[in-house]
This record gives sequence, structure tokens and C-alpha cells, in this order.
Amino acid sequence: MTLVSFAIVLVALLGEVGGQLVLKKAMEISNAAGFRSRRFVLSFAAGILLMTVKFFLNLGLLQRYDLSFIYPFQGLSVIIITFAAAIILREKLTLQLTAGAGLISAGIVLVSIS
Amino acid sequence: MQQPTGWRNPWLQLALSVVFVTTYELLLKRGALETAHLADRWAWTGISGLASPYVWMAILVTVLSFITWLQVLRYIPLSIAFPISQVVHVLVPLCSWLFLGEVIISLRWCGIALVSLGLAVVARPVAQLEEKL
Repeated sequence: MTLVSFAIVLVALLGEVGGQLVLKKAMEISNAAGFRSRRFVLSFAAGILLMTVKFFLNLGLLQRYDLSFIYPFQGLSVIIITFAAAIILREKLTLQLTAGAGLISAGIVLVSIS
Repeated sequence: MQQPTGWRNPWLQLALSVVFVTTYELLLKRGALETAHLADRWAWTGISGLASPYVWMAILVTVLSFITWLQVLRYIPLSIAFPISQVVHVLVPLCSWLFLGEVIISLRWCGIALVSLGLAVVARPVAQLEEKL
């Protein structure tokens, strides 16, 4: 794997994590300010944009590498999203939740490489 | 914030979202198999898959999964909803085994078991969270 491909994997991962976080924020805004508020529309559009970027980067990677090589990186998104939600969205993170997310991440990596 | 009940209950929506994602993967695989023989200049883009009704059903189902996921995000913390949504990594291999006759090797069974164990560990704080709401 070249350095450029590795960078694309990282950006795709960031797109997935960022997309989920921004969409979550957008839906929280919709709860408070409704679907017509400017803040909702902007953050929802940003979430969709990040997801789209991730989708196409992933598609490009799949054209060059095996699914079983690319997919394990997606397993990492579980643990990263869990931590990011705690740090950025200030969600309450328990030890149990962290351990569970870690096990799920490890399991996905194992399913993908086998 | 008060959680809606009935069809809009976010936990029901999470379950539906997971079922939709699993259905989407299976439909897409069937559609891809059905159209794999089509020789076309653009076949490498996957666009020839659109010749299969299964692929169109898959597209419809993925839209539904996105709508249900948004309803989930309105009420359930991401740090709980996202790990639980990964149950698809158990359901998709199991359904591929049951419905598509695919073979699952022992290492993959271990991975499936590990994801299931992680889900069980996450489920406990969820029960506590629900008590508080």
C-alpha cells in the first residue's frame, strides 16, 4: 500500500467519523430548533457531504484493493466514533461502553480479515 | 427529551435500521450475481448492476435505513447507537450463510462471536440509560 493510499484510507475514516458526528449534531439541533432552522440545514448538508466524500473515497479504494484489506479499517470507526462522541459531543462514556466498543471493533477486524 | 412511542420509538427505529442494512447487503449481492455475466464497456463501474430489480430494491431499502438512522440519532447517544448498529457485522455473515449458502470459516465465526460479546457488553449500560429516561 502506498503512502497516498494510506492517506486516502485515513481521510475516508475521518469522513465516516465526522459525518456521523455532524449528522448527530444536526438531529440534536432539529430537536431544539426544528427542521427549518439555518443551523440544521447547514449541519445536515455538511453531514451528507462528509458521507458522500467517504463513499467515493471508499469506492476508489475498493477498485484498487481487496475488500478484506479495506474493510478492517471500517472496524476502527466504531471505537473512534465512541471516543469522539464522548469528547466532542460530551456524551457520557462508561468503562463498559468503551470495552464493548473495543470488542466490537476487534470482532469486525477479525470478520473482515478471515 | 421525551422519547416518542409506537412506530417512532428510537429503539424500534434502530432495529429497523439494522434490518434494512442487512436486507440491503443481501439484495445487492443477489443483484450483483444476477448481472455479473453482462458484458459491457462500463461493467467495471458496477453500473450494469442497475439492470437487476434487486439492485433497485436495495437502493430503496438503503434510503429507508438512512431515514430510520436519522430518527435514531435524534434521541439515542451516538456512542451507544453506533456500536449497536454494528450488529450488522453479525447478521450479514449469518444471513449470507443461511440464505446465500456462503461458507464461514472458523476465524470468521470467532470474529462474529467477538462482535456479539461486545454487543452484550454495550447492552448493559443501555439498560441503565433506559432506567434513567
